[in-house]
Amino acid sequence: MAAASAAARRDRLVGYTMVAPVVLGSLAFVVLPLGMVVWYSLHEWNVLANTFTFVGAENYQRMAADPGLADALTATLWFSVGLVVVNIALALLLAVLLDQKLPGTTTFRTFFFSPVVVSLVAWTIVWSFLLQADGGINGFLGALGIEGPNWLRHPTTALVAVVIVQVFKNVGLNMILFLAALQGVPEELHEAARLDGAGAWRRFRSITLPLISPTILLVSIITIVGSLEVFAQIDVLTGGGPGSSTTVLVYYLYQQAFRFNEFGYASALAVLLFLIVLVLTLLQWQSRKRWVFHEV
Amino acid sequence: MSAHRTRGRRTAGTAAVLGTALALTACASGADAPVGEPDTPDEPVELRMTVWTADEAQLGLFRSIADAYVAENPELVSGVTFETIPFDDYTTALTTQLAGGNAPDLAWVFESNAPEFVSSGALVDLRPVLEDTEGYAFDDLVPSALTLWEEGDGLYAYPFSTSPFAVFVNTDQISAAGQPDPADLVADGGWTFDAARDIAAATAKDSGKQGLVVRDFDYQTWENLATVWSGWQAAPWSADGTQCTFTEPAMVDALTWFHDAVFDDGAMPGPGTTADFFAGDAAMTITQISRASALDGSFGWDVVPLPAGPAGPQNVVGQAGVGVFAAGEHPDVAADFLAYFTNAENAERLAAYFPPPRQSLLDGETLGDANPLLSAEQLEAVVVDGVQDAVTKPAHRNFAQLSETVRAELDALWVPDADVEAVLADTCAAVTPLLED
Amino acid sequence: MKSDVRPRGLTPRTRRGVTRWLLVLLLAVLSLPFVFPTWWMATSSLKPMSEILRRVPTVWPQDPSLDAYGRVFTLQPFAQQYWNSLYIAVLVTLGTMLVAAMAGYAFARIRFPGANALFVLVLVGLLVPSEVTIVPLFRIVNTLGLIDTHWPLIVIPVLGAPAVLAVFIMRQFFLGLPVELEEAGRIDGLGRWGVFWRIAVPLSRSALGAVAIFTFLKSWNLYLEPVVYLSSKKNFTLPQALTQYVDAYGGPMWNVQLAATTLTVLPVLVVFLLAQKQFVQGLAHSGLKG
Repeated sequence: MAAASAAARRDRLVGYTMVAPVVLGSLAFVVLPLGMVVWYSLHEWNVLANTFTFVGAENYQRMAADPGLADALTATLWFSVGLVVVNIALALLLAVLLDQKLPGTTTFRTFFFSPVVVSLVAWTIVWSFLLQADGGINGFLGALGIEGPNWLRHPTTALVAVVIVQVFKNVGLNMILFLAALQGVPEELHEAARLDGAGAWRRFRSITLPLISPTILLVSIITIVGSLEVFAQIDVLTGGGPGSSTTVLVYYLYQQAFRFNEFGYASALAVLLFLIVLVLTLLQWQSRKRWVFHEV
Repeated sequence: MSAHRTRGRRTAGTAAVLGTALALTACASGADAPVGEPDTPDEPVELRMTVWTADEAQLGLFRSIADAYVAENPELVSGVTFETIPFDDYTTALTTQLAGGNAPDLAWVFESNAPEFVSSGALVDLRPVLEDTEGYAFDDLVPSALTLWEEGDGLYAYPFSTSPFAVFVNTDQISAAGQPDPADLVADGGWTFDAARDIAAATAKDSGKQGLVVRDFDYQTWENLATVWSGWQAAPWSADGTQCTFTEPAMVDALTWFHDAVFDDGAMPGPGTTADFFAGDAAMTITQISRASALDGSFGWDVVPLPAGPAGPQNVVGQAGVGVFAAGEHPDVAADFLAYFTNAENAERLAAYFPPPRQSLLDGETLGDANPLLSAEQLEAVVVDGVQDAVTKPAHRNFAQLSETVRAELDALWVPDADVEAVLADTCAAVTPLLED
Repeated sequence: MKSDVRPRGLTPRTRRGVTRWLLVLLLAVLSLPFVFPTWWMATSSLKPMSEILRRVPTVWPQDPSLDAYGRVFTLQPFAQQYWNSLYIAVLVTLGTMLVAAMAGYAFARIRFPGANALFVLVLVGLLVPSEVTIVPLFRIVNTLGLIDTHWPLIVIPVLGAPAVLAVFIMRQFFLGLPVELEEAGRIDGLGRWGVFWRIAVPLSRSALGAVAIFTFLKSWNLYLEPVVYLSSKKNFTLPQALTQYVDAYGGPMWNVQLAATTLTVLPVLVVFLLAQKQFVQGLAHSGLKG
């Protein structure tokens, strides 16, 4: 008995030692900074004037009456929903196509993945050329007999354009995750279904989708959280416009902090952003039981 | 440039973390000591100046001036470092340094940030130091160049670059279209915005490219339109910054002219179309003369002053300032260095890159050394005369917010059938609360 | 109609062949928006400035020149900056692999009081956008006197929020690893550390590979943090260095920037091309799969 408990104690010690780096790191570089942000959010802080005054919940009350924030939240909602839907649909489509063992798969896989390693700013600038009123995209559409819109100058198409540029940039990574998941689906299940006369679509819906649903959950969480952090793309492509149609929350936060010098208010917005991410993640995690086939 | 941002996963009870508000003060380290003749510090100090240029020739010049200063004042300063922050992230990084309690001693300041920086108390008053520094010749500074950087009697930054706006002309395209040469129109007094519009529209039609481009406007950075509306003597707000004047007749006329030139005459690229003059994609462009360095000789060009508007000619300059942070560790030493950095002698060396705000240096010859692409006559006409009585682009203590608000409101103007008066009325409605702030 | 050419109609096999080629065609069309910008970027580095800015992009330079590549190295200590990015990314990758493997293993396998609470605490890092904490982190780094050093770019990613995804991946992997594999080692008299090093880590090579690639890419492309923490050119990392190729008036020297960008992208792409099979398999075997 004594030996066993000594072993258990040793084991516990090993456990603590193993998690110590990441736990201490989280305390120092995640929890402490977050606490500081909460503390800042209770102050009016003008960095230039060097004033730091305690104002209690004032910054939070201000949020409720801020029409700019309401616009930003609306833009964020559309942007994130659009991004997640398009990204996941395209990633899944590409992964399924690449899983068919077609000729040239290796090359195509590299093509789709390549934007992931390309510099975000360079990528966005190329697209801003392509999306001009008389740019490459509309030239292409024109050749098909379609008159393309002035993408970056209408509220709806500007939002669509930012989503598309972002999707092309990062869909490669999600595609790889899906591809990995697809390769984990046992071939025998498909064979059996085929013998039962199930068509390709039927097999995809009843076998593939349920089996890769944990990956879909993970990918959608990563993508939603990522969508809430999109910044440089918006800065280069639209600057938040036209109107405030592409001013998403993190861009608004950035404006408040670094352009308007409202560090206190920006910190309160940061707390809001954190809470939104937290709630969304919890909701998705809670809902997993309903649509995720089996536990991760 | 970040790769895929990968985050997100389950968590429970993390809200508890938020309750742990840690008692960390953002200890403000403001130095309120008056700035004057620096006391000799116990040991020589290191100065740090943030800049947005990454050009080695310019940085080399700065270092050589700094080395000379260190050699003259070894007991005061041991060295000066020039820290380059990328242009696009300049304000972000500078603000982070200030917020993080790591203020640089000196910093370049954007024109649009000027009133905010000047009125915030972040910068120290340089006037006493500059006036008292022997051989500085403070009176040589062009008064209109300092206005933006003054509050009350104080001068809070030195406008080391005061660069006039002018019109670059692609003479190949214009003569191919059989249009009159703008330089001739300047000579006989016919160089007006209407004339420029007509030439631009006809040339664009002929070349299949664009006409007149207000550079860097792009239907976002609206303050660059000051180069146009100043010809109407229009301004976005009153001189004291309290009244919105977007609805004044002069502004309505100026923006109506601009709107029609874009949408009716095809004289300027519409929204969503960018055209680079220096790549040969436009007949004319309004920009600062310092951009002449972008010309690569692939087409014939000329540079002429801004056209006259209905209210006559009006010069416009773009500026950049350099100031001393009160929150820096050695504001007095930094101010002394700034006085040396910009004294008459060094201002002449800096003139190689930055048109100086000094009367005595504003002649075609001095500037000619710095701008080999431009002839003495061009410089005389555009720079020397261009700095006199020039106005700057709009600025305001609350500029960042105003800029964003006006941009969003004016987006409604950039459609073919816009109701100019109604849009400007909306703009004033949105802007007025910010002006009163 | 060409049906008379094949009087017997399409056999299922040829129909399958036709479908396959149609799919390849679809893939080719879909590749365009992915490939063209990268292609444009690489070829534009061979063009003069005026050609790059032309409104209708040229697909191949009219007069290709390697001039810009020479200037990449003369304008800045680019080789030094390349080395900075490389060694930082390698250290961050190795550090993250070690930290994540240990923490992932302990959270998955070892029972110790407070394990769940600590895991949740660590997971908070996944939920914090970097823009949110950049100001307080700068204060902390400044207090420690580590501004303009590479320490914050190495230590914070290894121990802070960026490492959390890696910890999570490793924990999921170890959860899925049959306990029996370790039992054998226990019987052979190995302690916890022995089991971890001799059995668990070698078995987790595929998951570690996935972690390595994620981490390396992230460090390689990190932008906001170096801009904020580093101030002297010899300390710069690549994404930050790219923004420094500007002319005297702040206008970007596009050809030089794009040449430098191409130099930073190509090696990573080549590595991916060579290692993609292992990468995909690594992910397929990690906790990220179904």
